[in-house]
Amino acid sequence: MTSPVDAVERAVREEFPRILATLVRVTGDVGLAEDSVQEAVVRALTTWPRDGVPDEPRAWLTTVARRCAVDRIRRESQRDGKETEAVWLNDSDPAPPPDSVVRDDLLRLVFTCCHPTLAPESQVALSLRTLCGLSTAEVARALLVPEATAAKRLTRAKQKISAAHIPYRVPPDAELPDRLAGVLATVYLVFNEGYAPSSGDAAVRQDLVDEAIRLGRLLLDLMPDEPGVIGLLALMLLLDCRRGARVAADGSAVRLQDQVKSLWDPAMAAEGVQLVADGVRRTPDRADPYVVQAAIAGCHALAPSFAETDWNAVIDWYDVLLAVRDSPSARLGRAAAIAERDGAAAGLAEVDAIAGLDHHAWWHGARAELLHRLGREDESSSERNEADRLGLNTRALASLDASLAASPR
Amino acid sequence: MPQYAALIWSTDLEPSDPRFAAMMPGYDAFGHEAEAVIRGGAALYQNATATTVRVTGGKGGEVVTTDGPYADTKEALTGFYLVEAADLDEAVGWAAKIPAAYDGSGCVEVRPIIEFPG
Repeated sequence: MTSPVDAVERAVREEFPRILATLVRVTGDVGLAEDSVQEAVVRALTTWPRDGVPDEPRAWLTTVARRCAVDRIRRESQRDGKETEAVWLNDSDPAPPPDSVVRDDLLRLVFTCCHPTLAPESQVALSLRTLCGLSTAEVARALLVPEATAAKRLTRAKQKISAAHIPYRVPPDAELPDRLAGVLATVYLVFNEGYAPSSGDAAVRQDLVDEAIRLGRLLLDLMPDEPGVIGLLALMLLLDCRRGARVAADGSAVRLQDQVKSLWDPAMAAEGVQLVADGVRRTPDRADPYVVQAAIAGCHALAPSFAETDWNAVIDWYDVLLAVRDSPSARLGRAAAIAERDGAAAGLAEVDAIAGLDHHAWWHGARAELLHRLGREDESSSERNEADRLGLNTRALASLDASLAASPR
Repeated sequence: MPQYAALIWSTDLEPSDPRFAAMMPGYDAFGHEAEAVIRGGAALYQNATATTVRVTGGKGGEVVTTDGPYADTKEALTGFYLVEAADLDEAVGWAAKIPAAYDGSGCVEVRPIIEFPG
């Protein structure tokens, strides 16, 4: 049995982004909109537990937030000795906007928060605050920064949106692919920071993973026909379905080949695979990089065990990925799949063929592991030390050491 | 309509430098293309002609001048335009057409202008 306060907090959290998006449209100011919605939320949290949650929480919150906005504009204009300019925002309480309008508002807000003229860390902070409805304190916890830092980052971003007139609109068709790529990159950044944290001690930060998936679902709801949106959600679900198997009881990370498949979440995997199929169907001419990465994760999800993985399929998808988005990490992933299908020597040849990675810790880590499997222990251990020297992070190093300690497969 | 300063940070050249003359057609072309939105602007003499002014002891105090610009950066502020644009996207679109943004000589910094009431 959840307490009334919990129920209220959940309702508020669910509705926050939509109400905020509406308020941004009617006030034309992200900062003012946010303050007004926040004020309405505070009123809800004090009155709803006492009087009960209204039948239409969103309508209630939207109306109250509108009135708060009008009050704020009036106070402001009185202070400046000017006539109120809020007449157009009159408090005759217009009917709450229909769902289709709210969706458009929210879509515009997505593109405002992820505008390319905002720094990536600002885009992440803003998205967590406005699109996920996290409080400033929660944003700070999510980003592992002090609350004052998060508050400053959010304030600066909102000031820039307002002072520099960052537009509140869905980009025109010609710009949409680039701009959407930016939105997806921001969401994927949040996901990766949760799935493989670059800082902190945790092997996984599930709160961030959950927020990223929530954002992914929001984007799919708003843009159901975009392959990149479909692919990104699929990818996140197919990686996160491993959540029960990726972390050992002692908090250390479990390598893919050592994970207990029965601990993977079958519902998430199934949803991810279905999305991959949809994404592939929609991109017959040019593959989408997220769909392809999701397809690779899907091969792992569909395999009954690591040993029974369809490596031919995995390698084929990597070839597609390299054709649409070549990257060292994709090449390394392909090399690892070759090592599984054709043996460690073939895999090592592939790894060695990737030029220009000599200064990357994980390239040496991959060599250390393959050399170990080939029984070339001296070379393996010097590669392991090179990876360490180049700053391979603690968790990856522990995982590598575990592999090197095990007898070669 | 919002206004933006497009500050041009680029190679510090004397007007007599042949490279200066060589880049003029690009700026002339921009001036024509953006005529409807340009509200002002200027090209500046090189850094070496600058004088930095400071007054010690508050207003009316001793005027201290130093030769040259305050900041010593690789690229110099060589000019600026004041442009009118509906929003930042539009302003960035104009800035991208200023030669310094694409000819390898530097970059353009877009700053919103504060509008004072009354």
